[in-house]
Amino acid sequence: MSGITLDTVRKEFGSGEEAVLAVEDVDLEIEDGEFLVLVGPSGCGKTTTLRCIAGLEDVTSGRILFGDRDVTEFRARERDVAMVFQNYALYPHMDVRDNIGFGLKLSTQQSAAEIDQQVEDVAAMLGIEDLLDDKPKELSGGQQQRVALGRAIVRDPAAFLMDEPLSNLDAKLRSQMRTELQTLQHDLDVTTVYVTHDQTEAMAMGDRIAVMNDGRLQQVGTAEEVYRSPVNEFVADFIGSPSINVFDATVDGSRLDGPGGFTYHLSDASPVEDLDTVRVGIRPEDITLVDDGIPMVANVLEPMGNENFLYTTLGDHDITARIDPTKRPQPDETVEFAFEESALYLFDPDTGDALKTKDDGEIPDRGADTDARPSETDEALEEAIE
Amino acid sequence: MREETRREAVWQFLTYAFILLGAILTLVPLYWIFVASTLKESQFLSSTSPRLAPGDSFFANFQSLQARENVQFVGHVGEMTHYIDLGPFYIAYDFWNLWNMGAIESSIFVAGVYTLLSLLLCSMAGFAFAKYEFRFKKPIFYAILATLILPIQLLVIPLFLLMSQLGLTNNYWAIILPWAANPLGIFLMRQNMRSIPDALLESARMDGATEFQLFYKIALPTMKSSLAALSIILFLFQWNLFLFPLVILDQGKYTIPVAINQLVGAQRVYYDQIMVAATLSIIPIFVLFLFLQKQFVSGILAGSVKE
Repeated sequence: MSGITLDTVRKEFGSGEEAVLAVEDVDLEIEDGEFLVLVGPSGCGKTTTLRCIAGLEDVTSGRILFGDRDVTEFRARERDVAMVFQNYALYPHMDVRDNIGFGLKLSTQQSAAEIDQQVEDVAAMLGIEDLLDDKPKELSGGQQQRVALGRAIVRDPAAFLMDEPLSNLDAKLRSQMRTELQTLQHDLDVTTVYVTHDQTEAMAMGDRIAVMNDGRLQQVGTAEEVYRSPVNEFVADFIGSPSINVFDATVDGSRLDGPGGFTYHLSDASPVEDLDTVRVGIRPEDITLVDDGIPMVANVLEPMGNENFLYTTLGDHDITARIDPTKRPQPDETVEFAFEESALYLFDPDTGDALKTKDDGEIPDRGADTDARPSETDEALEEAIE
Repeated sequence: MREETRREAVWQFLTYAFILLGAILTLVPLYWIFVASTLKESQFLSSTSPRLAPGDSFFANFQSLQARENVQFVGHVGEMTHYIDLGPFYIAYDFWNLWNMGAIESSIFVAGVYTLLSLLLCSMAGFAFAKYEFRFKKPIFYAILATLILPIQLLVIPLFLLMSQLGLTNNYWAIILPWAANPLGIFLMRQNMRSIPDALLESARMDGATEFQLFYKIALPTMKSSLAALSIILFLFQWNLFLFPLVILDQGKYTIPVAINQLVGAQRVYYDQIMVAATLSIIPIFVLFLFLQKQFVSGILAGSVKE
């Protein structure tokens, strides 16, 4: 077991004029036993980064270290990592037992009986001990998924790499497997890199989240950090559901003028000094409907049961608000809203960098140098559950 | 009956009628060969209307075929001349003389060895073309395909010279090796191997498989049905080879097509013997097909990756 370090890892596909830059100089430290989620929109380079760690792609430049061991030039089979693929990639001609045991047969000197014992232990852990003699095509999606996990776990690798392993499951099974995976990872205590495009999954599962866009690493931090203190507008927009509302506003001293008659007086104008315009961001959950606030026009209401999503228009901008389930504005009704200044995000209009985020500076620093492992209370809790 | 259903029924009838016609057109000549092999030559050549019921002359015809001196069709027990004399009994060790091979055995042996060798080469080449990137991949592949259009007549002389320089005249390798890397086989295997999901191979790589293990532990087993189909194509190809075996082999080593050709004499054509030989030559192909039939299971890749 070991941590994983990416040192200015760069990956280009093709060469010369036609080269496509997939991963641009990514620096990332994943600690021993950590569950790190790589998240980003499709084509952002997250899967390529994972494949570079796996050894399925050569890096164009940079280094990859497992612990102190430089594995940059190692082939996939020499790296001692296990990967779970989005489509599971089970061997169709082998039964479940052989699928799970395949890696052990190839990479260890163990006897057939020893391998069989380990396969059965892992199958029992995953609750698939009755399926050992079935072929993959006889299994349901959830069962195939477990076999794919079993194949990774049985090898006791230095790290798990998972490429959107839950995206082919239906919603209910997905959230069930999500919890199971987390418990499993904590029990096994194996460094895990998990790729997903689903920010909810990322927030729910990761000890830390690494947000990528356009081949570049945008931010690494806990779910709380990336949500409350995004480094730029992209991260703010990508993390959180529904996404943050962002619009342009002109700066006049401490006053912000936005679309549709939006005006707001900042009590602290220091973030917008020297700026003519600024990007203003408000999370849907920070919007409250009031009697004398900023007016906007209601369009659609989505009742969720415990809350309502209200889609509105502010001037020519769409604004989403997460409101009390008892409030049900009708379409075309004018509603008024307000928010706390502490909940306001401000972004540089040119670079997209965050100038002010929620509760700026009040978040405990849980960056690279703090232990991102589950706390002792979590472990105690799990023991109690067992 | 609704108009659409009726039209569907008519189409179905026409389709089956067409298939049936095709089956009849294919089977009638085979049946006639079989019938002719059971008749005296005079019975099926001179009668004004062709006879369609089998007769009882098959074994007589077969005996006259076997009695020919210029061609040995089915082999016979050989004389073992090398032995260790142990007084009351002796142990022969020249097992290569155990059986004197006739044309049928030669053909089975040659086509069998050829099929195995060619399956290996074609599937390896197909795997490389389907799953690896390398320099000049496309030009090489197209060059291989281009060899399909070269007629055998064009190749006979250069091939003969090449084989005699290799010292392989009158040697079965001379009719096995030139076609061992079969372009059609390479093409077919490449097309089929493209359907193997990359993730499957990568998964095996992560599990610690070497590139060759990927090929024989993952790719080959998932390609069983393609390999079965290709086996028949390759076996038939070698089974039917005529011109080059005629040129490079001596009389004692003839394969079936060449042996049958010996039954066409200058003065007379031995139709009865030809019919027996043709009937016998169908049997191994038929057995091979029955044997491989159960391998034609479609969807062997099903359940491997979730789409």
